[in-house]
Parts: sequence; C-alpha cells; structure tokens
Amino acid sequence: MSAREKFIASAKKNKILANKCSYCGHTMLETVNYCEKCFGSKFETIELEGIGKVVTYTIQAVAPEGFEDAGSYAWVVFKVDNAPFRASGFLPRIATPKDLPIGTTVKVTGFDPKHGLLLQKL
Amino acid sequence: MQKSTSKHMTNKVCVLGAGSTKYGKLNESIIEIALNASKDAIESAGITPKDIQAGYISNVFGVVDKQVHMAPVIMSNLGIPNVPGLTIESACGSGSVMFREAYANIAAGFYDCVLALGVEKITHTGTTQSTTLFSYCSDFFYEGGNGASFPGLFASIARVYMTTHKANEEDLAYVAVKNHENGILNPKAHVRKKITVDDVMKSPVVASPLKLYDCCPFSDGASAVILCNEEFAKKSQKPYVEVIGSGRGASPAAVQAREDITTIPSTISAAKQAYKMAGITPKDIDFAEVHDCFTIAEIIDIEDLGFFPKGTAAHAVTEGATRRNGEIPINPSGGLKSKGHPIGATGVGQVVEVFEQFTGKAGERTVKNAETALTHNFGATGASAAVHIFRKVQ
Repeated sequence: MSAREKFIASAKKNKILANKCSYCGHTMLETVNYCEKCFGSKFETIELEGIGKVVTYTIQAVAPEGFEDAGSYAWVVFKVDNAPFRASGFLPRIATPKDLPIGTTVKVTGFDPKHGLLLQKL
Repeated sequence: MQKSTSKHMTNKVCVLGAGSTKYGKLNESIIEIALNASKDAIESAGITPKDIQAGYISNVFGVVDKQVHMAPVIMSNLGIPNVPGLTIESACGSGSVMFREAYANIAAGFYDCVLALGVEKITHTGTTQSTTLFSYCSDFFYEGGNGASFPGLFASIARVYMTTHKANEEDLAYVAVKNHENGILNPKAHVRKKITVDDVMKSPVVASPLKLYDCCPFSDGASAVILCNEEFAKKSQKPYVEVIGSGRGASPAAVQAREDITTIPSTISAAKQAYKMAGITPKDIDFAEVHDCFTIAEIIDIEDLGFFPKGTAAHAVTEGATRRNGEIPINPSGGLKSKGHPIGATGVGQVVEVFEQFTGKAGERTVKNAETALTHNFGATGASAAVHIFRKVQ
C-alpha cells in the first residue's frame, strides 16, 4: 500500500495518518518521505484523531471540474489537533463566511475519490 | 540556496533583443505564436538565427494544443534544426526559471548567444478546463484534489493576510485599478480597460474573498529575448540591457505547509540572492515587474521583495506608492492582471518590459529616469520563484 493509499485508508476511519520520526520525534503528514528536521527516513506511523481548527479557507464560486455538482463548498486549511502540522480538505454546505469563522473545529469524515478529504463542522 | 557566484560565473550576461506577441485570445497554433515572438526578438537584436547557439523554451500546457517536446519544433521552424533546444516547466514561473537557466549557461561560458522563449496557448479550452488544468499546478493531493482552484488558493492566502494585517477587500482592489491604469498604455496587453475600485468590488465572486477583477485572465501569448555575453552585445552595436542579479527560491508546495501563509519564502530567498549578486538593496530598484496573478499576490510580493515592511503594502498601494509616478512603480506593463498571464511566457514578458523601458520603446508607460529594474515571477502559490535584476546600459 502506498503512502497516499494509507493516508486515504485512515481518512476513511476519520483519522489523519502521520509519521513520527524514529530519530528526532518530529511528526509530519504520512505522505512526507524524509523527516523535515533531521532527514531521517525511519518512522513510527501514528493515527491522529481527524480533528482540527480552521486556519483559512475559500468558498469556491467557480469550481474546477469534478466539483461542479458539489454545491456551495469551502476548501479548508486546518491545524490538526495534537500535531505540529496543518492539512486541507473539502467542506460541503458552506455558503458564506458567516458559516465558517476562523477557528471553527472541523472533523475528517472520510475520503471521496471525487472530492478528496471530506470534512464536517463539529 | 545558491553558492557565491563570483567563483563560478565569469561572463556578464546581456539582453540584446526582445519581442512579444499580443497577449489575449490568439487564433494561431502554439508553434506559430512562439515563432512570432521569436522573430520579433531576433529582429530586435539585429541578429539572424545562425547566431543562436541554443534555445530555451518555457511552456506548461502545450499538450492541449497537441504539441509537447516543443523546443526542437521551434528550432526547426527557425531554420536551425541542429541547434539544441530545451523545454522547461515550472507552472506560472516557467518563464523566469527558464530565463535563469539560459542566463546561467551564458554566464558559465557554454554559449555566447541564446534564444529564451516562453509561450502558452490555453484559452481555447474554456474557463472550466483552464481552471482545472491550472489546479494541476498545485500540490494536487491536498489542494486541487480537495476542490481548490488557483483563485481559491490565493483567496485562502488573502483571508489570512486580511485578518493578520487589517487589510480589506477594497485595499486589494487598488492593485487591480493601478495595473489596469498601466495596461491601457500597453498595446500588447490582454485587458486594456480602465476600472474603478467600485468595479472590482461589484465584480462576481470567483473564490471568496477574491472577485473577478482580483484575478488575472487566462491568456495566450509568447515573449522572447536574445541573451548573450557582453562581448557579443558590444560587437552588435545595438542597445542592450545587462543582467546584474539572479536568484532562485523554493517554498513548501502546499499552502498548508507554509509557516506564515502571508509570505512566500521562495520570493524572499530568490530576492536575497539577486540583491547580493547585484550589490544593491531594494531601495536601489527604480521599478519592478512582479507576479500579480491575483491582487493579494502583488501585496505580498512587494513586501517579500523588501519594498515595504510586512503588513504595510496594502496601505501603500492605496496611497499610490506603486503607481508609475510613485515611490516604487510596480508593474508598469500592466502586470499579469491587465497585460495578461500566458503562464509559460509571463516571466519572459517581464524581461521584455524591462528591455523596452530601458531602450526607449515603452512609450507613454515609460518610468522616468529608471536605470535599475527587478523582475519577479513564481510558480503555483510560490512553490518556485526567480528574481532578476537589470541595469540600463548607457
């Protein structure tokens, strides 16, 4: 199973898969192959709760192909709880900025081949 | 980070000629567009194709006009099929990254004279497919694949900037108004139309908080320059411009991985190298062509390039500091916003503007008394960038 396939499998369990460097303990997204801090390549794989706080987002009025039928949605960058990194995902049913104040808690709810990492507001 | 250049680079590098097609919706094939700009540059330099020892071509989406491996096709059609060519892709920064490679090969002494050409043709694919194709330039697994378009990515950057630095959507609109004001004077510009802050604010939302007039257009077009060493330039007895600084930088590919989302590390790194090589500071720059794919990008660029302290550029723009008669004129060509953004050509087009400004060909948009200029162009949301500095040769 490739790194991305593992990441997707975890997302389907509402988790974010991360790599913890065996040398320095730095934690990164599972898709990173070498430690950003010490360049080590041995990791302990850990599954984090797919929960985090919204750092920024956009509401796509003009959607790329594959998202035309998604309704009004946001692409969201969120800081993953208990991890030093952020991730990004697809949050449906967001129409205006009032629907999504910065700092809102979001949760990973799955992975869709068409729309990517699925999120919902908590 | 590049090493000290003094030990490695021995030849001064000069821009001897420059040419561009009009930017916009063009009917010709991508190869014909490329050849038109090439011929203009060759004529401008007063050379013939036999003087060209190598061709450097930047392009991203040649495949949608049924042509990849473009360099040999272009060289063949210039009558020099045995001259080596190379095609370089670095998303929207392809032109400047390619220019850097052409520059480095002249500086290192591999060639005396080369063609540096950028070209793009995409408008025939339509807005939806173009939006999708551009999204492939993102870190797709995290960005395009989760529904972010490029306006969306920069919108997310704008939201953080406006929250952190107390700027608002009207401040961003002033960038568009200023660049359209310049673009009206550029006969090659894609969108030659005066707009107001009100026009920007009332334009349709593309990806909140960015609206249509915050965004550059999808454009076709080509730009080309002839680069040579100083000896070649002097022998030509034609006006030329000297390249006095060059830098390249990189940033995390995905916005989510940037420590500070309101800055672009690749710009800072590339600018630092270019200033050091040129032996100057941002205060010595008389005008700059910067990467304003979206209004927020220009605000961030001019801070990262050192023209304004972090968090102050939006206010400076509204005060007119970046207009042609301002403290530091930015994008006298009209920038990507008004001149257009044929992504493979954009970085080269900026050099064409510098050449025209310094050789008396910029007409009404000439920046008075300018002698030193900077070009800045990046790929995607700034994952790759190049900065070059030029000096007018009297």
